[in-house]
Amino acid sequence: MSHYEEVKVHGYDEFSKAVSERKGKDIFAYFSGDKDAQGLSWCPDCVKGNIIILLRGEMFHLPEGSVFFYCQVGESWKDPNNEFKKTLKLSGVPTLIRYGTPQKLVEEECFKADLVRMMFTED
Amino acid sequence: MAALCRVRHRWKRTNCIKLLTRNLTGTFDYDLVVIGGGSGGLACSKEAAQLGQKVAVLDYVEPSVKGTKWGIGGTCVNVGCIPKKLMHQAALLGTALKDAQKYGWQIPGPISHNWSTMAEAVQNHVRSLNWGHRVQLQDKEVKYLNIKGSLVDEHTVKGLTRTGKEIMLTAKNIVIATGGRPKYPTHIPGAVEHGITSDDIFWLKESPGKTLVVGASYVALECAGFLTGIGLDTTVMVRSIPLRGFDQQMAGLVTDYMEAYGTKFSWRSVPKSVDKLASGALQVTWTDKQTGKDQRDTFDSVLWAVGRAPETKTLSLEKVGVKLNEESGKILVAADESTSVPNIYAFGDIGEGRPELTPTAIKAGKLLARRLAGQTNELMNYDNVATTVFTPLEYGCVGLSEEEAESRHGKDSIEVYHAFYKPLEFTVAERDASQCYIKVVCKRGGDQRILGLHFTGPNAGEVTQGFAMGFQCGATLTHLMETVGIHPTCAEELTKVNVSKRSGLDATVTGC
Repeated sequence: MSHYEEVKVHGYDEFSKAVSERKGKDIFAYFSGDKDAQGLSWCPDCVKGNIIILLRGEMFHLPEGSVFFYCQVGESWKDPNNEFKKTLKLSGVPTLIRYGTPQKLVEEECFKADLVRMMFTED
Repeated sequence: MAALCRVRHRWKRTNCIKLLTRNLTGTFDYDLVVIGGGSGGLACSKEAAQLGQKVAVLDYVEPSVKGTKWGIGGTCVNVGCIPKKLMHQAALLGTALKDAQKYGWQIPGPISHNWSTMAEAVQNHVRSLNWGHRVQLQDKEVKYLNIKGSLVDEHTVKGLTRTGKEIMLTAKNIVIATGGRPKYPTHIPGAVEHGITSDDIFWLKESPGKTLVVGASYVALECAGFLTGIGLDTTVMVRSIPLRGFDQQMAGLVTDYMEAYGTKFSWRSVPKSVDKLASGALQVTWTDKQTGKDQRDTFDSVLWAVGRAPETKTLSLEKVGVKLNEESGKILVAADESTSVPNIYAFGDIGEGRPELTPTAIKAGKLLARRLAGQTNELMNYDNVATTVFTPLEYGCVGLSEEEAESRHGKDSIEVYHAFYKPLEFTVAERDASQCYIKVVCKRGGDQRILGLHFTGPNAGEVTQGFAMGFQCGATLTHLMETVGIHPTCAEELTKVNVSKRSGLDATVTGC
């Protein structure tokens, strides 16, 4: 049993709903381009083998009782006015955020294990 | 020249001693340990790391009396420049909204300001800056330790974590950049228990309400300025003169404007005591020095802005022999930021005689890192530094005040050109521009070298920055006259200044 909850969601509405159901929790979210059945994506960086392994490797450092969202942004991403951009201020994928705080890692920053660990362990 | 010689000899001497130490004890944990993660400390440590040095930066924020604390970045990011300028902007927008109606905007109903909305937005921005610094430090491979550092010997720093755990670090060089904190007037009963300082004002979740700001420094005036601008009943209590150290004619224009715009001033007043009433309000008793009588009024908040004290008490400086200026308590430093101990350096607000400004701390920090890495001999140039006071009517300046110029060169050897101008934007808005003013203090005769340049008006910081470069290049009045202005702007009035104080002529700018 891990000390954190892992949630997989697809698209903004699903993400938003799942977040509202977990009020008061320390929420981390990794936003990625959609993956197809073969595991390929229009955002190759987002699904690069080593990024997922890297994240998995650092999840040990997640605070007790926290929630980790793996969110595929869906087709809506093509729309420049999509909810992710407007409401969550996402500038690109992949992005890793600590929900409700200014803490975020964008694109290449997500590939640095020490930065991911810093976000997971920061007070 | 003398300073450079001193540096060379010290370097030679230090090199010998260090070689000896290293042979006896082996290598140090770090090439450089920086105590203080503010504007100076961060710039120095990041630069050093980029130059291949092994660096650690220690940052620790002792909570304020009221319990306020913040993340990495120091005073500027957390409780200074950044939140100040944002709240100043909030206040300016309030004025702009009033002006907007004259420009045709239909604004339904009265406009009110919500402190919590502004505070949350400002605090969020500050937190994003804290995070940005953390990512940068990690990226540049600077070891960051959230511990309270103190000196053990000239190569050893002791760190205390929040939980009281002790960590020891050894370093070839140590840099102290711990800055300062606001002073409390501890001799005034109730001051510490009931008052707040600039450490607290930006982090309040609720509006401070009717506020008494005690002090007449730029901190006091800037805070009082934005508090008034967002609609709060604000009083400034001044013991003697406003903006000590600044050109006093300009300081007067700044306070005149503030008074005209609703900030109350209690001149020549000294607070005696602060009591908390049953209602929760604060009753302040003060002495009016002119009448000798005591006065009393109630406020929701009392903000002390009566000076800043250097953060040196917990560094154990005496133990290691780092000498301080007895009066100010700041660390005595040479032109190369070195202290009385060969491999210990200090700069930023903590250095005696240094400007308490972010850009000078950043530049000095970078140059120090470069010198320590053996990349340069360049020393920090602290002259000709331009500054701006972000009061409701902003005041930008570079160079000498009129008084300083008179004192250094003699009244007969200087020529002061000046002009009262009206920003175009004020016309339609029907705003009073009585305090919008320009003053260029020059050396008399010849090309009339500019000794000091002063400007009150909108966007003073933006206006002054460009002229600061000219000043740095040794600009003369002739240069200024030869510069064609950009029209229509306030800044162009500087290029058109032609009436001298000596002539006694009317200095009001008329028309195009």
